[in-house]
Amino acid sequence: MCKSLANWLDDRAGLRSGLRSFEEETIPGGARWRYVSGSALASIFLIQAFTGLMMMTAYSPSSSTAWGSVFYIEHEMWMGWFIRGLHHFGAQTLMVLLLLHFLQVLWAGAYRAPRELNWWIGLGLAGLILAFGHTGYQLPWDQKGYWSTKVVTNIMGGAPVAGPYVKTVVVGGSEYGNQTVTRFYGLHVGILPVLMFLGLAAHFALRRRHGFTTPDVEVDPDAPRETYWPDQTYRNLLAVTAILGVMIALVIHHGGAPLDAPADPSSSDYPARPEWFFRFLFQMLKYFPGRLEWVGSIAIPGALFLTLASLPILDKIAPSKLVHFLARALVFTLVGGAGYLTLQSFQEDAANPKFQEARLKADQARERALFLASSPKVGVPPEGAGYLMRLDPLTRGRAVLEKNCLVCHRFGGEGDEKWSAADLKDFGTKAWVRGLLEKPDSDDYFGRTPECDGMVEWKQSSKLNAEQLDQVADFVASFAKIPEDFTVDEWLDSPGVIEHPGNELFQKECGTCHLIEGYTEGGLRDAPNLFAWGSPQWLTRMIRRPSSPVLYGYLEDDQRMPASPRDEMTDNDLKTVIRYLMNDYPRPAVAEAKEAAERP
Amino acid sequence: MNRRDFHRFGSVVLGSLVKLAVAAPAVAFLLTPLRKSKKSGTGSDLERLANLSQLEVGVPKSFAIVRDLTDAWVKYPKEPVGSVWLVRQPDGVDPPVIAFTAECPHLGCAINLSPNGTGFFCPCHSSAFDCEGKPKNHVPPRPMDRLEVQLTDDDDPHVVVRFQRFQPLAEEKIPLV
Repeated sequence: MCKSLANWLDDRAGLRSGLRSFEEETIPGGARWRYVSGSALASIFLIQAFTGLMMMTAYSPSSSTAWGSVFYIEHEMWMGWFIRGLHHFGAQTLMVLLLLHFLQVLWAGAYRAPRELNWWIGLGLAGLILAFGHTGYQLPWDQKGYWSTKVVTNIMGGAPVAGPYVKTVVVGGSEYGNQTVTRFYGLHVGILPVLMFLGLAAHFALRRRHGFTTPDVEVDPDAPRETYWPDQTYRNLLAVTAILGVMIALVIHHGGAPLDAPADPSSSDYPARPEWFFRFLFQMLKYFPGRLEWVGSIAIPGALFLTLASLPILDKIAPSKLVHFLARALVFTLVGGAGYLTLQSFQEDAANPKFQEARLKADQARERALFLASSPKVGVPPEGAGYLMRLDPLTRGRAVLEKNCLVCHRFGGEGDEKWSAADLKDFGTKAWVRGLLEKPDSDDYFGRTPECDGMVEWKQSSKLNAEQLDQVADFVASFAKIPEDFTVDEWLDSPGVIEHPGNELFQKECGTCHLIEGYTEGGLRDAPNLFAWGSPQWLTRMIRRPSSPVLYGYLEDDQRMPASPRDEMTDNDLKTVIRYLMNDYPRPAVAEAKEAAERP
Repeated sequence: MNRRDFHRFGSVVLGSLVKLAVAAPAVAFLLTPLRKSKKSGTGSDLERLANLSQLEVGVPKSFAIVRDLTDAWVKYPKEPVGSVWLVRQPDGVDPPVIAFTAECPHLGCAINLSPNGTGFFCPCHSSAFDCEGKPKNHVPPRPMDRLEVQLTDDDDPHVVVRFQRFQPLAEEKIPLV
């Protein structure tokens, strides 16, 4: 039954006879290990095609969804890390195999007649593999992909005459965004594969037509006849198994493929580096002045490519042996030079503390992004993965604080050397208030803020003991939780306010200066209204309009904290910086536990 | 086994090994959706939809189910995920409110009111139901799916509904988890 079905199929499709021809392909001199490079290359390419196809079922190409979908593949889907890891390390394996195959073919002089055509096709396929690498690198739309794409396309744009136009077409406009992702995606999964399969088909057909380029040695007529199937196939598959084994080991060792923080066009210190196999080009560019960049990035590689392509012609017009020797010498030098530049590049980075620091920062951003995306409280927002970090108080709020506030303030001891205002770490908490009540003229509080001498004056006359100060601090720290829409009366009516042991002390000690209408008198000295002090609504007013009559309206303009209006600090920035100040952001459970343990 | 037979055998074994090493994880990858969902948006939580006073006796009214939704990698806060028809019953009848999911038991289209207002009608394949959710033709396999309804103890009670999805085409009401 099975046999007749197979016969029926073979009568119509001729598959068996197609396979049989491999069995009839005698390899003069027998099967050899050196012939495996091409088929190993093709096999790994097929694995790339297959794993790529799998990821196409889960990847979403747009600047807002790409990162999230790759995150989902890598961290949520079953074996997603494995599939993506294979694809990632497979790409690097292809580069190594490509080099080996190229060297093997060049060594055998396989560019000579009648194989010229296949030499050229092979060079074209090599170019396609490089293009696969470049387009794929960008698809996760993470920091790494974003910045290296920017660099590569700008190199393109640096080419004389047509450069800028080519760049604009490839990028899909002058800005990097949705069109860049869809174009690179279309290239990576559509256009390049079609070209690749056409080229591979021709490459194979010609390889079969011409056979292997066997070495010029005497063939032992008594040696057993060896054919492609199964003698060479066995060697091929043994090599492929070993290579795949190494790839799988790498995937397991690294736990998948890397995914950096989502692309952030505003980051100023991302240390963009290409994959290791392009490091030599990256390093070489350092030797060219910006204006002549295109010489190093386009002219030299282009000239080398043309030289290689013209080998079959040179072989005809110059002594064949000499051309072969020169070609080998050239490639030897190139590989050596590339190896040297690669090493140099890595050594420079290893010795560069600036790079280390930037890399560390990028790694922290990555950790944070991965934590936020997987946190059930956060997740990737509908606006896109870029907002994952832009809405994060620890990332964005911290950055806003550093840029806008730490010019005068300090934060946990960090900040400008010549600070002039209070340390904002744990602002609004009981500990902060207690510290202030203990020593208002400390440098961590108002010691460097002469306008705030009222507190110092109070301290000199106050007779509150430690326990009473604790009570006042606890009471004041509760102000931060007053809901936004509460009036003073509503607040006083809510449970636990009037009964609070700090209430009476606050009215007597603080209320003489700090006026809260309907609650304290004020009037002794000018002082800000402390109603809802430390809450988001109080901080919002303090940041947007410190000159408000209920805050520091009584001070001169140059004595006051400068206001941050909307065109300097967006609403989102304000919200994130306030949440950062209030320690209101999700943290990994481990970090939280550690912090709790450190707290006295 | 001679040398060539060994090569033949080895090729088949190694070839299978390579294919298996790539294909097996790929199968798992493609089967990810079968994983038991631990995310929100699909659970059967109670939803507070309306006050009883908003409903007129015998007049079906539709309400959207709005939930925090996790769609693969994206978290949507407060996203409509479905809708529910509430029909208030005359005083003294138990239950005082009937809730139907708007998802048609036939093939899952959204059920609307019938044009003359005497029942429900699904625009996709003409499933028709009366106001009690009983089929009026042979298209739907079962009556409209009723949802669990509770009323709170307030003066004007809130109508609370447990929103659930059920398997389409089945004659029984089988909840989808």
